[in-house]
Amino acid sequence: MTAPPAAIEAHQGEGEDAIHPAPTRFLRRYVFSTDHKVIGRQFLFLGLVFLAVGGVMAMLIRWQLARPGVPVPILGRVLYGRSGGVISPVAYTALFTMHGTIMIFFAVTPILIGGFGNFLVPLLIGARDMAFPRLNMISFWTMAASTSVLTASFFVPLGTANAGWTAYATLSTTIGTPGVGQTMWVVAIYLNGSASVMGAVNYITTVIRLRAPGMTYMRMPITVWGFFLTSVLNALFVPVLAAGMVLLFFDRVFGTQFFIAGSTIRGGGDPILYQHLFWLFGHPEVYILILPAWGVVTDLLAFFARKPAFGYRVTVGALIAIVVLSSVVYGHHMFTTGMSPLLGESFMVLTMIISVPTALLFLNWLGTLWRGAMRLTTPMLFCVGLVFTFGIGGLTGLFLADIVADMYLHDTYFVVGHFHLIMAAALLLSSFAAVYFWFPKMFGRMMSERLGKLHFWPTFVALNLVFIGQLLLGYAGMQRRLYDPSVYDFLRPLLPLNRFISDTAYLLGAAQLVFVVNFFWSLFRGKPAEPNPWQVGTLEWTVPSPPPHHNFDRLPTVVRGPHELGSPEARARGKDWLAQDEIVEIVESAEESR
Amino acid sequence: MRIEIPPDVSVDGHLVDGVLGYLTWATGILFLVAVGVLVVSLVRDRARPGRATGAYTHGDRRRDQLLTLAVGLIMFFAVDAVLAARAHRALSDRFWRYPDGDPRALRVEVTARQWSWTFRTAGPDGRFATPDDVVTLGELHVPVGRPIFLKLRSKDVVHSLYLPNFRTKLDAIPGSTTRMWIEATTPGTYEIGCAQHCGTSHYKMRGLLVVEPEESYRAWLERAETDSRLRYDAAHPAAAEGWDWEHGS
Repeated sequence: MTAPPAAIEAHQGEGEDAIHPAPTRFLRRYVFSTDHKVIGRQFLFLGLVFLAVGGVMAMLIRWQLARPGVPVPILGRVLYGRSGGVISPVAYTALFTMHGTIMIFFAVTPILIGGFGNFLVPLLIGARDMAFPRLNMISFWTMAASTSVLTASFFVPLGTANAGWTAYATLSTTIGTPGVGQTMWVVAIYLNGSASVMGAVNYITTVIRLRAPGMTYMRMPITVWGFFLTSVLNALFVPVLAAGMVLLFFDRVFGTQFFIAGSTIRGGGDPILYQHLFWLFGHPEVYILILPAWGVVTDLLAFFARKPAFGYRVTVGALIAIVVLSSVVYGHHMFTTGMSPLLGESFMVLTMIISVPTALLFLNWLGTLWRGAMRLTTPMLFCVGLVFTFGIGGLTGLFLADIVADMYLHDTYFVVGHFHLIMAAALLLSSFAAVYFWFPKMFGRMMSERLGKLHFWPTFVALNLVFIGQLLLGYAGMQRRLYDPSVYDFLRPLLPLNRFISDTAYLLGAAQLVFVVNFFWSLFRGKPAEPNPWQVGTLEWTVPSPPPHHNFDRLPTVVRGPHELGSPEARARGKDWLAQDEIVEIVESAEESR
Repeated sequence: MRIEIPPDVSVDGHLVDGVLGYLTWATGILFLVAVGVLVVSLVRDRARPGRATGAYTHGDRRRDQLLTLAVGLIMFFAVDAVLAARAHRALSDRFWRYPDGDPRALRVEVTARQWSWTFRTAGPDGRFATPDDVVTLGELHVPVGRPIFLKLRSKDVVHSLYLPNFRTKLDAIPGSTTRMWIEATTPGTYEIGCAQHCGTSHYKMRGLLVVEPEESYRAWLERAETDSRLRYDAAHPAAAEGWDWEHGS
């Protein structure tokens, strides 16, 4: 369509086209590797381990809410021996703090952005590696350092952080949390953010500079758009969080008073400043996490509906609009802080405007499925499940965008249900879809379809029941982060609902064991994967599974978009897909040229 | 299993319930339509022998783009714009129109701390920070049918005064003063909660709001004034927590 950027052509000769041999020493090859495929797997494993840890914490939280003060079976004796297996109030605050922290920063971020972002971006755009392979390695090891600090914080006097994952000042200053655990939390988040920014710089540069010839922006898989836009947000807004962490660190360690005010300890700072810094990062963070998921799902829906993605340009435009808007809506997290009416209503209207591009994205998903020829494979089931779940999660956001409704629903379980439908349900469904879809490319073996479906159904049903149940709790008025809701008379009738949610959550947890079994069984015993088991055209499927160290023997020249399924030129060759770099001898007619 | 919203006993709570009701219907219909389309696709558009591939359309013709845009905009104007207009009216006419000079309004200073609420109202002299102030811990008595004007402060961390039966909440923030107002329609005892995580015993930061008819409120006030006067320690005025309403202490 358009000519490849000149910069890329200039690289064609020796630099970019040069193939470096794979390192032979174990440490260089598997531990301190600069290969994006190895780093991607490292991030994936790290994320999956922490997903399990965060998941167990969720189960403990649900235990306490369903059976307040009853000793936790089995695990309780190990974790809470001193209180006879009962979760104490302080342990409970640590649990919900670390559950949120781990899931967001140490599970979903490494799985989707670190793991799949690393593995996929160079392969999908036809590059040999990231633009800065060493920076990539440093990014992973910074993340690893961050996880070490976070893990160590559990073993210090007064225990780990317990000011909530949002760590609002002044609770997160020494007024509310004097222990060193909270300081270590601050350091861990700072390191984690540094790793994210390193990754973001790398992804952005890679996408801009290293696209294969012919891989125009409008021929990139939406997955790449997702990672690219996520990286833009990461590069812009994670530093804001880092700034907040630095100031909080100073308040905690050096006795400054950036965030400290009040009469217990006099101070000239402002706790609201922390909330601005946190949410100026925190709201884009929601999109940082969901954009890759949207990208993956948009591509996979097209692949398995055997149709081009509906409205590619509108989808890309919608994603860009969301990215821009996401930075000016964060105030809706602070409606109850008594912010100025003008500011409050501005944030309300801006937040509502985001629903338009989101609706376009959603409609395009439905458009992709319409008149398709769906193959309901395991990754496709997870994607369709996401469409359903995201529908509920997105629409319930409208309740919280409205200041009037938010006055009642703010800080209740309605908020918990809403953001779990997006950040937990939708992200998990898309992460699983990605694992099932790219596992053959990553590890050279197929995962079991039968176990995959056995994993999908209980996961999908339980996720929805759990989080819709939480929406109901919030509607009935139950606040977040209560150790024992039965302290309130008006919450006591909710105990049966809490029990139901908890029991469903245990089922959800148990269903993940099917995934673990499938993952490890397939890793060693799965059917060896062909180069292109799903019969789709994006570039990663044109190379062997797993790809060689240098990805492409010859850098591909891209001639068409990512989901040209069922095109006449493909049918002329007796199949319904064409690789993005496959040259077809027939003269292309003008209307088929993209 | 009983799942109900707590009874609304305020003059303005119906505005919140109205929005919740409208949104439940509007989003419910949108969701059902979307799921309907999805289900039709799932049933009809499956791969089967003789139908291995989907229709070769990109959905990028002008018609397709206009269609999606139209649906998006209809949704925006039918749901978002209606909501925003409604919210703007409710906020500027009611919730943010504070009973500042209203002589009928009962003014209350709320001091939040880990983990309790202290309420102070001016005594017969109508001024705060004087020995006749009525100070109560964890229990706020108010008359029915009069605006209650609350100003909030916190001594330590961020708390949030949550009145489920009045459909509202407001943060108490160290270093600043926030304000809200409510008016009760029905006498009774209602729960006050803390909605913002404020430390280990956040869950115990419960208070009571006692709404009484004017006469019994007066009777209670008389007793409370006597109590407060007896408890007042001139050497230690700060123990009667609050400030001088307009300015701060």
